[in-house]
Amino acid sequence: MEASGVLTRLGSSMRLSRGDRIQVAVIAALLVFALLGLPQLLSLYWIDIFTTAAIFAIASLGLGLLVGRVGMISLGQVAVLALGAWVGAKLCFSTSLPYPIVLLLSGVITMLLGTLIGLPALRVSGLYLALVTLMLAGAINVVLTQINFPNGGKGFLGFDELYPGSIRRPSIAVSDPSFFRYTVIVALLMFALALWHLRSKPGRAWAAIRQSEPAALTAGVNVTLYKMWAFALASFVTGVAGALFGSSSLKLYNYEFPTQQSIVLFAVVLMGGIYTLWGAIIAGALLWILPALFTIWGINAEIPTILFGIGVLQVLTTAPAGIAYQFPHDMMRLGKLLYRLIRRPAATAGST
Amino acid sequence: MPSWSSFQPFIPIGLALGGVYALSGVGMVVLYRATGVLNLAYGAIGALGAMIAWSLINHAGFPSGWAYALAVLIGGFSTLVYGAVFGPLLAPRDPLVKAVATLGFALILLGMMTWLWSNSAGIARTITFPTDNSGFNVGQVTVSWTQVIAFGFGLATAIGATVFLRFTKLGTAMRALADDREITATLGVPVRRVEAAAWFASGLIAGATGLLLADLDTLDPTTLTFLVIFTVAAALIARLRSVTLTFVAAVVIGLVDNLVTPINSITSYRDMTPFVLAIVALLFFARGRQYSFARGGIR
Repeated sequence: MEASGVLTRLGSSMRLSRGDRIQVAVIAALLVFALLGLPQLLSLYWIDIFTTAAIFAIASLGLGLLVGRVGMISLGQVAVLALGAWVGAKLCFSTSLPYPIVLLLSGVITMLLGTLIGLPALRVSGLYLALVTLMLAGAINVVLTQINFPNGGKGFLGFDELYPGSIRRPSIAVSDPSFFRYTVIVALLMFALALWHLRSKPGRAWAAIRQSEPAALTAGVNVTLYKMWAFALASFVTGVAGALFGSSSLKLYNYEFPTQQSIVLFAVVLMGGIYTLWGAIIAGALLWILPALFTIWGINAEIPTILFGIGVLQVLTTAPAGIAYQFPHDMMRLGKLLYRLIRRPAATAGST
Repeated sequence: MPSWSSFQPFIPIGLALGGVYALSGVGMVVLYRATGVLNLAYGAIGALGAMIAWSLINHAGFPSGWAYALAVLIGGFSTLVYGAVFGPLLAPRDPLVKAVATLGFALILLGMMTWLWSNSAGIARTITFPTDNSGFNVGQVTVSWTQVIAFGFGLATAIGATVFLRFTKLGTAMRALADDREITATLGVPVRRVEAAAWFASGLIAGATGLLLADLDTLDPTTLTFLVIFTVAAALIARLRSVTLTFVAAVVIGLVDNLVTPINSITSYRDMTPFVLAIVALLFFARGRQYSFARGGIR
C-alpha cells in the first residue's frame, strides 16, 4: 500500500506539463539528429565548424548562467576558455590519464584559477567585476603570447617550436565525426549539470540575488558563497570547453583567443538569450556557423561582428530575452497573423 | 637590474603615454559622472577618427592639419549620435547595462574598421606628427615635442575638467545629473542638452586620444580599440569619480608600463600593468568591506 503511494507520488512529480513534454521531445529529436544525422550529412569542414560551435555553446552556457541567472557580467570568458585549453593541452601531453579525467581536471583547475582571480572583484559592484574581467582578458592574452600553448615540448610550459605535436583525442573519438559526437555528449552533460543547479538550491539562491542582493541577504542567502559558486560553475564548464577545443583543433595558438573574442562571445550570449539554456546553443551557432555561412555566400567575414554589435544594442533596448525567446514568440505571432489573414477572406466569403 | 641610464629614455615615453591615458581617462570619467555611462567604445571611436585621418592624408591628399581636425570632430559627432540615440533609451537602467551597451557600439565600429581597412598590402599604416622629430635634450635623454604635447594635453584636460565641473554652470548641472537625473530635470536643468554636451566633449577627447595613440603607439583598429583597457584601469583606480586621481593613476600606469621595459625578466609581461595595478587598487578599496548596495559601485 505504502509502496504504491510512493509510486503514485513519484509518478505525479515526474509527470511533465505539456510544454515540458514538447521540450523533452524536441531535445531528444535534436540529439538523435546531431548524433546520427549530422555527421552523415556534413562535409568534414562543416563537422569541424559544428564541433567548435558545440564547444562554444558550452562556454556560452557558463557565461549565460552568470549574466542571466546571477546578473554578473564577465567580459573575459574567452580568456578563461584559453586557460582551460592550456590546462587541457598540458594534461594531454604530460599525463596518460583517461580523456574524461583530463576534461574533469581541466574544468576543476580552471575553476580554481578563475575563482581565485575573480575573488577580489566579487566584493564590489557588477560594473567593477565587468571591468576587471575585461582587463583580465587582456592580461591573460599577454601571458599566453609569451608562454604559448603546450605542444609536447619539454619543461613545465611544454612548448617547443621545433616539435609541434598534436593534442590527443579520446581513443573512442579520434576521427572528426566521432569527436563531434563526443563533444555533443559532453555538452549535454554540461547542460544537464547547469539545469540541475538551476532546479535546486543554488538556482533559487541565484534567482534571489538577481532580484535584489539586500533582499537575498535578508532571506538568509549567503550572497558571497553563491556568487562565487556561479563564477566557479561558469569557469568549470568553460574549462571543460577549453580542453575540448584543444583536442578539436589539435594545435593551439594564442591568436585564437584575442581579447576581442571575449566581447564577441558576450554579445552572442546576449543575442541568443540569457534566460533559457537554448540561448547558449543559439550563441554557439551565431558565433561559428553564421560567419562560416557568410564566407560561403561571399559576404565579408567582418559583417557578423557588426551584426553582433547591433544585436547587443537591440537586446539591451528592446528584446532583453534574446533570440531564444523572441524567435518562437514572433513566429507564433506571425502564425496567428497569417491564420487570421487566411480565415478572414474565407469568413467574409462564407457570410455573403 | 639594469643601470639607471637604461631606464631614462623610457621616462618621457611613459609620461607621454600616461598623459594620453589621462586625457582619455578624464574624458571617460567626466562622461560617466554626467550621464552614468562608462563608454567602453572610447578606443574604437578614437581609432575610427585616426583611420579616417590616415585615409584622407594618404589617399585623398588632404593637408594633415585638416585631417587631424576632422578626426577629432568625427570622434565628437559619432559619440554624440550614439549618446543622443541610446542615452535616453538606457537612462533609467543600471550603470552596468549602460557600459555593456557601449560594447555593442565598439563592436559595430571595430567590425566596420576591419572591414573597410582590411588590406594594408603589407605596408604598415602610420600617423606621424611634424613634432615627432624635433625636440630637446634633458641630460642624455631626447624628448620630442609630441611627447610634451601628449603629456601637456593630458594635464591641461585634467585641470580644465576639474575647474569646469566645479565652477561653471554646465559643470554644476553635470554634477547634479550624476547624483540624480530625475530631480535635476525637475529643477529645470535641460537634461538632454547637458548630456549632449558631455557626450560631444568626451567624443572630441576620444578623437584626440585616438590620433595621439596612433602616433605614439600604432595605427591599428584592434590595438587602438583595446588600449581602452589602460584608460579603464586608470578610471577604475579613481573609482570613476575623481578627475585628479584618474590623472595620477593614468600617469603611473603609463610610467610603470614603460619603465619595466629594460628589466629583461618581466619586460614581456609589462602590458599586464593596468590589470595588476587595478586589482591592487580594488583589493585596497575592498578591504574590510562586505557589500555595497550603492548605485554605481563602491563609493
